[in-house]
Amino acid sequence: MTTARTETAFTPREVAASPSTERTAFLKRRYLEEPLRVDVDYLRLLTESHRRTGGLPVLERRAEDHAYALERLTPVIHPHDEIAANKTRYIRGAIPYANYAAGPFLKEMRRQVQDAQQKHVEQGRGGGIAGALERARKEGCRVFSGKFLISPQDYETLREACEYWEGKCFMSSGQRLWKARMLEAGFIEKGWAAGLYTAPHEPCPEGRLILDFETALAKGYWRMLDEIEQRLASPDRRDGRRAEFWRAAKRVLGGALAFAENYAKEAERLAAAEPDPERRKRLGRMAAACRRVPAQPPRDFREAVQSFWFTYILGHLEGSHLGYSPGRLDQTLWPYYQAGGVTYEEAVELFEELFVKMTQIEYLASLSWQGLGHGNLYQNLILGGLDERGRPADNELSLAILDAQIRMQMTQPTLSVWHDDSLSEKFLLKAAECVKTGVGYPAFFNLKTYIAHETAASGLPIETVRKHAAMGGCTEPVLQGMSYGVVQAGFVNHGKLLDLTLNDGVDPVTGDRLFEPRKPKSYEDIRASYLDKMRVSVRLWQRYWNHVMAAHRETVPLVFCSVFVRDCVGRGLCMDDGGAVLNGTPTTLSSGLVNVANSLAAIKKLCFEDKACGLGELKAALDADWKGHEALRKAALAAPKWGNDDDRADDVFLGLFDEYCRWVPGEMNYLGEPYDPSMLAISTPVPFGKACAAFPDGRRAGEPLADGVTSPFPGTDRRGPTAVARSSAKVDHTRIRGGLLNLKFHPSALRGEAGSRNLLAFIKTYFEKPGFHVQFNVVDSRMLRDAQERPEAYRDLVVRVAGFSAYWVEMSKALQDQVIWRTEHGL
Amino acid sequence: MSRGLVFDVQRYAVHDGPGIRTLVFLKGCPLRCAWCCNPESQQARPEPMRRPALCAACRTCASACPAGAGKRDGRGGPVLDRERCAACADFACVQACPHDAISRVGREADAGELLFEIEQDRDFYRNSGGGATFSGGEPFFQPEFLGELLAGCRSRGIHAAVETCGHARTDILLALEPSIDLFLFDLKVLDAQAHCRLTGQDNGLILDNFHRLASRCPDKVTARLTVIPGVSDSEENVSAFAGLLHETGLETVELLAYHPLGLGKWDGLDREPLLRPEPGLAASSLAEVKLRLTRQGISCR
Repeated sequence: MTTARTETAFTPREVAASPSTERTAFLKRRYLEEPLRVDVDYLRLLTESHRRTGGLPVLERRAEDHAYALERLTPVIHPHDEIAANKTRYIRGAIPYANYAAGPFLKEMRRQVQDAQQKHVEQGRGGGIAGALERARKEGCRVFSGKFLISPQDYETLREACEYWEGKCFMSSGQRLWKARMLEAGFIEKGWAAGLYTAPHEPCPEGRLILDFETALAKGYWRMLDEIEQRLASPDRRDGRRAEFWRAAKRVLGGALAFAENYAKEAERLAAAEPDPERRKRLGRMAAACRRVPAQPPRDFREAVQSFWFTYILGHLEGSHLGYSPGRLDQTLWPYYQAGGVTYEEAVELFEELFVKMTQIEYLASLSWQGLGHGNLYQNLILGGLDERGRPADNELSLAILDAQIRMQMTQPTLSVWHDDSLSEKFLLKAAECVKTGVGYPAFFNLKTYIAHETAASGLPIETVRKHAAMGGCTEPVLQGMSYGVVQAGFVNHGKLLDLTLNDGVDPVTGDRLFEPRKPKSYEDIRASYLDKMRVSVRLWQRYWNHVMAAHRETVPLVFCSVFVRDCVGRGLCMDDGGAVLNGTPTTLSSGLVNVANSLAAIKKLCFEDKACGLGELKAALDADWKGHEALRKAALAAPKWGNDDDRADDVFLGLFDEYCRWVPGEMNYLGEPYDPSMLAISTPVPFGKACAAFPDGRRAGEPLADGVTSPFPGTDRRGPTAVARSSAKVDHTRIRGGLLNLKFHPSALRGEAGSRNLLAFIKTYFEKPGFHVQFNVVDSRMLRDAQERPEAYRDLVVRVAGFSAYWVEMSKALQDQVIWRTEHGL
Repeated sequence: MSRGLVFDVQRYAVHDGPGIRTLVFLKGCPLRCAWCCNPESQQARPEPMRRPALCAACRTCASACPAGAGKRDGRGGPVLDRERCAACADFACVQACPHDAISRVGREADAGELLFEIEQDRDFYRNSGGGATFSGGEPFFQPEFLGELLAGCRSRGIHAAVETCGHARTDILLALEPSIDLFLFDLKVLDAQAHCRLTGQDNGLILDNFHRLASRCPDKVTARLTVIPGVSDSEENVSAFAGLLHETGLETVELLAYHPLGLGKWDGLDREPLLRPEPGLAASSLAEVKLRLTRQGISCR
């Protein structure tokens, strides 16, 4: 029986589960009930140290400041926690990294506009955000950055720190550099005003980084310290630059050990005062673990989890990260699980706690970046894949991790699967089951495609790529523990380039001229004009970022993280100096190409093939936002569209994509490797679309752009998901680092085991073609509309946005609408 | 290549036959089921269908209509006078509507063109055990066209299923049987009189065809029962259905739950369904039928 939409009740998602134990149910509930808070402790200590470390070489100063703070941070163990250490003192806490960018915070305090993008970006209002606003009223606290609770006293501390960092932070140092040294600085600023680029990215420049947890666990910090000592005792110490890094590395590891010891002491203190014998026993076990790791290798699975978590949090504390990820945790922890000591169910429960702890990390930056990230830090945990020798790597822990998220449905970490045909059916069916909860993960990635990209781009042996392939951030593959992680995460808006092309170089929204006038006459002229603008905008964006990164090296180089990235210690170079094995990870990102391709295809059809209208008439319709031009808009909507396996539109997309991929590597990144082309989305389709006028593809002014990278524009994919997959697979994904295809399925399309198998067959076929990435929202749109009307009934509803999932109630209305708007397949 | 009348092609269809399938809907049906969820499949000619939710009542369609079929209903809303509508060649109303609120249902399609589209998803069929399903309407209502589509699938190695109401000429059915991999045989009401009242046709031919297919190629027949609350879920009907299956030696049935998704389409066609089953009862009715059949030794999917 066929399909149509009904106005009655909606179909629920098929898989529903709940936390394994009362303890983890409590942890989740506690998380959902807590407001978001700013924790100024780390910044206060860092600033205190920085005031007195002037004169030290920059790496040593950075290490000293970080270590000073680590040694003094208050260790907080919340009731019922069994894994020690948190990034902040609060359940939902964020650190204001004023050493990165004090400006946006000060501007908020001074009630000034932070940047030009702010007006395009919205934040959510519900859930823990509503909680913060309400408590602020009750407790006499302030609300900072739109959603964080902060006490008046902490607010003052923050203000003082920001004022201290105002001229010294990474952002202001960078601005001094690029604004003075870059001839075209004015273009970048006009680009920001027009919405051609995402907001200045200094508040969160890094991430997409996965530390070498394998070595951290297997060696332990003591042995790593020994090795550094030996290097400092060797003749290599005479190389001042390398010696500086090793001294810095030693200092920061010392601070990290003190941090762990403070947690051991706190656990012992709590254990001594604990009346309940069971809880006392558990606290004792926690204390023993903190005494053992990360200094020495773990003796069992619990200690391995604790050791991983220490290193993870210590690295997280150092930088203002987005995309900093746990990587292949099922591989990292596997030897310790095999050694025995915990049952499968106990392992699942520990992961449940771990995932609550990851979700508890909040993210405070400029309002623009908060809006783009929607509170998600893009922590990506990737499962499956292959081992060094090419054998399937999925194991019992892969299942346990899936089970934990099926039961918890936390927004972080986002789970991914490195897909290969050889993975076990049991594992793949479990992954499909997780998809059917509706949380939007795991996302599926085609390992073969990435191997082809990375072996070609880096020249590294295939064994290395197989073993270390992981996901750093939403959809950007990197090599775990060996890739440079300070990357440009800002985007170029293809939609705005189209605006500029159609308006003779003037932004129709701001009226600014960015390019010389040029009157295109033919379809080829228009396309060429667009490509020229793309080339200029990309190149200047890359050069601007290279200047900014010079400032990163001089202000906030990552020392702790470098110790855990191969082969920084061996080379005696931090990541900012090129210590990592793989330095080709910095990408040039963009989004919105689908709308450009659809628009060019429409221009070609309407103005040159059918001659239904002239360019002038089309322009007039766009200027009027299609009002009074409904018939023309209908023709525009009927023109060929990406996502229908229609070469008339697909070839346009592929041509533009090729040009982009060819152009991006023409500029070297600041470490001397070619920039890698990439396309992603995060939340950019909403603000980028808001900044754009009406398009020839029928889109109205201000509407979001197509989501993802190869996702069709909502409503224009009329031939079902297999046609979308066939269009998307025409893209040569081996040429880019990343890619993103969102599909939305109605729950009934995936019902039962047959539904799961069909889903897996769909993924397998798409990857044979070969596609690179696909992820699914499994939800009835009517349920989402109901959730907009009755948010109180949907506090824990999770949906997939782009490379991340989010709690529905904490999303902005615009983003909610965008998810509802996406085409829903199958009923 | 012969041409036929088709009203939809759906890819990634997963409810009619195994695996991922492409579903081709042939237009025209000998039955007039009172609850039909695809009323636009019944007429064997193209027709305009309105989408009231998108309509802005601007009356552009009425001025464009050469036959003057654009009217207002009692409340001033737009309707089409179906008596007058000549289903003109270019569907003037569909072309004219600026809001996409009228669509043309049914197009002449070439078998070759459809086979080309079916072939696009060949790899998805291979990995999922899927193929093509010809549905309707009633596919056997266009025998030559269907025959060509089936032969095309056979020569391309694509699994082919036909969803039928069974009201078809027996000689045609048996002639095409060798090129069909699966019959999805939809039964509704076993009582002859009731069947006639609710679908406009006697079910003698249907039952006869069912018996013949079940004895000739039992492995290729999937019996399906559409569970319509208050119509096909009665104890007598379910027992009769179980009896039929026992007689033919088939032991499993696929139950199709009634859904009210077609009601809006009746509106769009300016027609009134003879029956509006209570959608709220669909789930419990389905569960009850399932229980009854299971008790009588029939396994339900």
